[in-house]
Amino acid sequence: MIALVRSEVYRLATIRSSWVSMALFAALGMLFGLLSADMWALLAGVGAFGLAVMAVCQHHQHGTAVLLHLARPRRTLVLAGQLVTVVLVTTAFAAVSGLLVLMGGEATQYGNTLLVVPVMAVFGAANAAVLRRSTYLFIGYSAWFVFIEGLLGKLAAPLPFSAYLLASAGESDSMLILVGWSLLALVAAGIAIHRDVAGD
Amino acid sequence: MIEILELTKVYRRFRAVDGVSFSAAPGRVTGFLGLNGSGKTTTLRMLLGLTRPTSGTALIGGKRFRELRHPARQVGAVLEQGLSHPGQTGRAHLRTQALLTGAEPGRVDMLLEQVGLGHAAGQRTGDYSLGMRQRLAVATALLGDPAVLVLDEPANGLDPEGIAWLRELLRAHAYAGGTVLISSHLLAELAQLIDDVVIVSHGTIRYSAPLPELYGSATRKLRVRGRDPQRLWRAFEQAGARVGTDGRVLEVVGLTAEDAGEIAFEARVPVYELTTDAPSLEQIFLDLVAGS
Repeated sequence: MIALVRSEVYRLATIRSSWVSMALFAALGMLFGLLSADMWALLAGVGAFGLAVMAVCQHHQHGTAVLLHLARPRRTLVLAGQLVTVVLVTTAFAAVSGLLVLMGGEATQYGNTLLVVPVMAVFGAANAAVLRRSTYLFIGYSAWFVFIEGLLGKLAAPLPFSAYLLASAGESDSMLILVGWSLLALVAAGIAIHRDVAGD
Repeated sequence: MIEILELTKVYRRFRAVDGVSFSAAPGRVTGFLGLNGSGKTTTLRMLLGLTRPTSGTALIGGKRFRELRHPARQVGAVLEQGLSHPGQTGRAHLRTQALLTGAEPGRVDMLLEQVGLGHAAGQRTGDYSLGMRQRLAVATALLGDPAVLVLDEPANGLDPEGIAWLRELLRAHAYAGGTVLISSHLLAELAQLIDDVVIVSHGTIRYSAPLPELYGSATRKLRVRGRDPQRLWRAFEQAGARVGTDGRVLEVVGLTAEDAGEIAFEARVPVYELTTDAPSLEQIFLDLVAGS
């Protein structure tokens, strides 16, 4: 497991597009943090979801999932390793990007967001393990967020992104809702990970 | 030792692989031949645990792939082309794999040199040519210093020098006691490399034996050119041979060269050319596949 996590972190650190995305999101997060803690929290959540999706889907997009499974045939362990990796990376990303929020005296929201970001990363990675295509996920969830959670749910319905926003503001019930969605996605991922790897 | 036992894969109603059984022994290079869509890749993917078989088993050293304790140190595989992130350098790709498999980090630069990519180690793999990506795939397979190598069309994209390099590498691996299972459509190249041959067509095994046995089982043809082809034709047919022509020479099946020479002598027809046409692996393969 440790070897898998080290390998994944090294991979993300040595792919230019990955670290450029992370640096860009971190810089953007700092900028948002200057404007409003809520905006930073939203960006941290979206960033965590996006990075987690990217980390998992890249393997399928470029075929390196084959190498991953050749080296580690126990796929549940591979999924667990990927989850640990995205939790570590996204938490670090959120912690750095929110430094201005912390220094601005919003320690509670900073802390709440750091607690909920890893859950959002798990939700993203689990979804990515099911669908394996980042484009589908980004387009699908963008539409979902705007139309279902935004227009219909008014960002207050017990749905994943609304729950994230409310949890980052300190609502413990919303945290439980997001954990529930993440567990549901994890169950699906635990089943989907055993599918044939692309190439057939 | 690789053992494939009654392996079957069914996609809805399509049987991609149907009861395939064969083995690949240590110290030998086994060629796995088949047309596109014949089930080669699916068989290799089932062997490596990437595709779940509908039924049957594939064993490496007596164990299924997912039961191997350190799979990357026991089995190296070259499957699809360009299995690396295009934004990562060749060296970073191998280091990632070394971290993942627990391979010696020191092998990374040694392997990059061995596969001829030392000069391009810091270059992004997205900028590699097809041949360079294949070399990187071979380096990835060798990272754990495995005894068993499974290669699916490894010569794709390699130039003649690269193909010769790969041939030497695989021969040396088998000579050192390793097991090599290789699929390829470059039959002329494969004929110079393999010890055993397995031919698959429409998902079923058509032939499995040592290569010399395959050559021995194939029908040999004589090519005969003489002053009077019609008289020769009649004489050979009267001796029980099957005779055809490509317009220039007679093609005779069912006689030895000695018999043909004696028959021509008795028929008083001067012979200008008499050769035994040894069938190539390609001809034998196509005959076997056409018969399925």
